[in-house]
Amino acid sequence: MKVLVLLDSNKYVSDIHGFIMKAGFSDASLVAVSNVEVSEGFDKVYRVGDVSSDILVKLGSEIGDFDLYLAPHSKKCIEALSFYAGSRGIPIVTEVTDFSIDEGRIYRNILSGRGLVSYKFTTPMAITIATGKFKGSISKTPEIINMDISPSTQLLSTEEKAFGGVDIENADIVVGVGRGFKAKEDLDMAFELAKVLGGEVGCSRPIAADYHWLDEDRWIGISGKKIRGKLYIAIGISGAPQHIMAANDVKVIVAINKDKNAPIFEYADYGVVADLYQFLPVFLERLKTRLGV
Amino acid sequence: MDVGVIVKAALDVNVLRSDPSGRISIESIPLVISEYDRNAIYEGAKICESTGGKLYIYSVLTWGPMERKLKDFENVIREALALGGEEAFTVVDKSINSSEPMYTSEILAKLISKYGSPKLILAGEASTDMTSSTLAPYLAAKLGYNVATFVKELKLGDGYVEVLRDADERLERLSVSLPAVVSVTGEINTPRLPTLIQIRRAFRKPLHKFTLADLGLSPIMSRYEDYKVVTVKRKNVIIEDESLEGVADKLIEHLIQEGVVKR
Ligand SMILES: Cc1cc2nc3c(=O)[nH]c(=O)nc-3n(C[C@H](O)[C@H](O)[C@H](O)COP(=O)(O)OP(=O)(O)OC[C@H]3O[C@@H](n4cnc5c(N)ncnc54)[C@H](O)[C@@H]3O)c2cc1C
Ligand SMILES: Nc1ncnc2c1ncn2[C@@H]1O[C@H](COP(=O)(O)O)[C@@H](O)[C@H]1O
Repeated sequence: MKVLVLLDSNKYVSDIHGFIMKAGFSDASLVAVSNVEVSEGFDKVYRVGDVSSDILVKLGSEIGDFDLYLAPHSKKCIEALSFYAGSRGIPIVTEVTDFSIDEGRIYRNILSGRGLVSYKFTTPMAITIATGKFKGSISKTPEIINMDISPSTQLLSTEEKAFGGVDIENADIVVGVGRGFKAKEDLDMAFELAKVLGGEVGCSRPIAADYHWLDEDRWIGISGKKIRGKLYIAIGISGAPQHIMAANDVKVIVAINKDKNAPIFEYADYGVVADLYQFLPVFLERLKTRLGV
Repeated sequence: MDVGVIVKAALDVNVLRSDPSGRISIESIPLVISEYDRNAIYEGAKICESTGGKLYIYSVLTWGPMERKLKDFENVIREALALGGEEAFTVVDKSINSSEPMYTSEILAKLISKYGSPKLILAGEASTDMTSSTLAPYLAAKLGYNVATFVKELKLGDGYVEVLRDADERLERLSVSLPAVVSVTGEINTPRLPTLIQIRRAFRKPLHKFTLADLGLSPIMSRYEDYKVVTVKRKNVIIEDESLEGVADKLIEHLIQEGVVKR
């Protein structure tokens, strides 16, 4: 088995190695193409300036054919791997969450997380791996080869996103805010609740992506972060599958919404049908009294 | 400049149907327009309005059985036309019954190069049902076009587009020479709702339907896939009381009993 790995960040190496081990390919020859320094875990590393859309197409003739093309499910890697798969006409399956050696099948979610579909694993195949699902490490010291490739698209400039360094994926308790909040200042109530409970504040996509009220590391959903703590309190969130399916692994879900028909109640253990502006102040006060804070 | 938008009739994720064994009955789930394709259509319509070009809609019906899905599919295409499309080229074939980017791109590439071949093709960042985000780059490679995905801002230049694309940790501003396929995020614009007149006009716009044979393509091997529902059991308790204080107290007791809040 010859495996080519495309990487745009070091933080995904463990996901990739975890997948390779789960798939039973630990003895495979591992070649990486990366724009970051990778000093361990591969037989060979091609260092490139950027994981541009056509990087694998341009490198292809240089590095030859592989049985399996792997990448983390990051935006740049999805693009470059799909573009390469398209140029070769090979099948691609993205955001793979599981591999069963016995059945030779790979799994991914569909229907915004509400369904699971399996595919037969065949070679050659391209796969992007859901992050946070696999963990592993393979020890190898790579030969590093620097490549000078000029991409077909021209990078004009970059802008760093603002991140608060919040890790909601590993938080025990998350208080989620959605479009039920009418102003950014009103989120203070949620922050206070999170503080009283010892948790973090997360949000629905519009709060981060449309309104920019919160940083993207608080964005919960299939295109944001998955959470897996013991408590999620969703406030003023309708419960679109793209949001709530990312909380499937949470032990207890509480929903606070003024619309009794909001889909979020179907996904909740405990529901409160109330206006958050009336309920939250009362809830906070009672909670503080009960917990003695 | 003419612009093409690839539009998907996606399974409605809010109407999930399954049999007692947990197998999803794809055949009985209705189709709706894939949410972010509306943003792609609106972005394309803006370019066509300012440059006097024509907006083409391209679509492949990927979910079967064809007879049961045809009506929903046509409604989706009419909606795309009401949102600004001028003419639609679609592929509807009995042998297509799953949504695989490899096949869908091959069909779309044929369709696009045969009808219109606009230099700019827009797509949604991800479809609502498959959410694979592979179609735009896969199709670009098939067409021999450049590609940019997860685009939050798009500006047309002379022979190129300037885009601001989401690259997870940062944003990148790129200049992409045409021809190109560009996928847009749900935040790139706020699509307008079609007016009654636009909806009525959409019924008079040309909607072409082709089979695989029409395009010189062979039937697609039906790859049977096993679709299962993801079930998560929740308690679904609605907490009620005469006063909000009472509701709050009951909720707090539940949380303490669950062991998720420590007193
Ligand atoms: C491909 C794709 C990917 C997506 N990815 C994500 C994702 O990762 N994360 C995500 O969150 N979304 C995602 N979405 C968007 C998703 O479909 C929804 O549009 C979004 O989650 C809605 O956010 P919301 O619940 O905050 O807002 P809304 O749907 O507008 O809901 C607001 C809720 O607040 C309630 N409310 C209003 N006022 C009050 C009040 N005073 N008190 C109490 N309740 C009140 C309303 O009853 C309503 O239920 C994605 C969509 C697509 C198509
Ligand atoms: N069958 C299809 N016909 C036309 N366009 C499609 C089809 N499937 C996907 N697309 C386009 O590709 C985008 C991404 O889909 P996906 O790769 O499935 O996440 C969608 O938002 C559509 O713009």
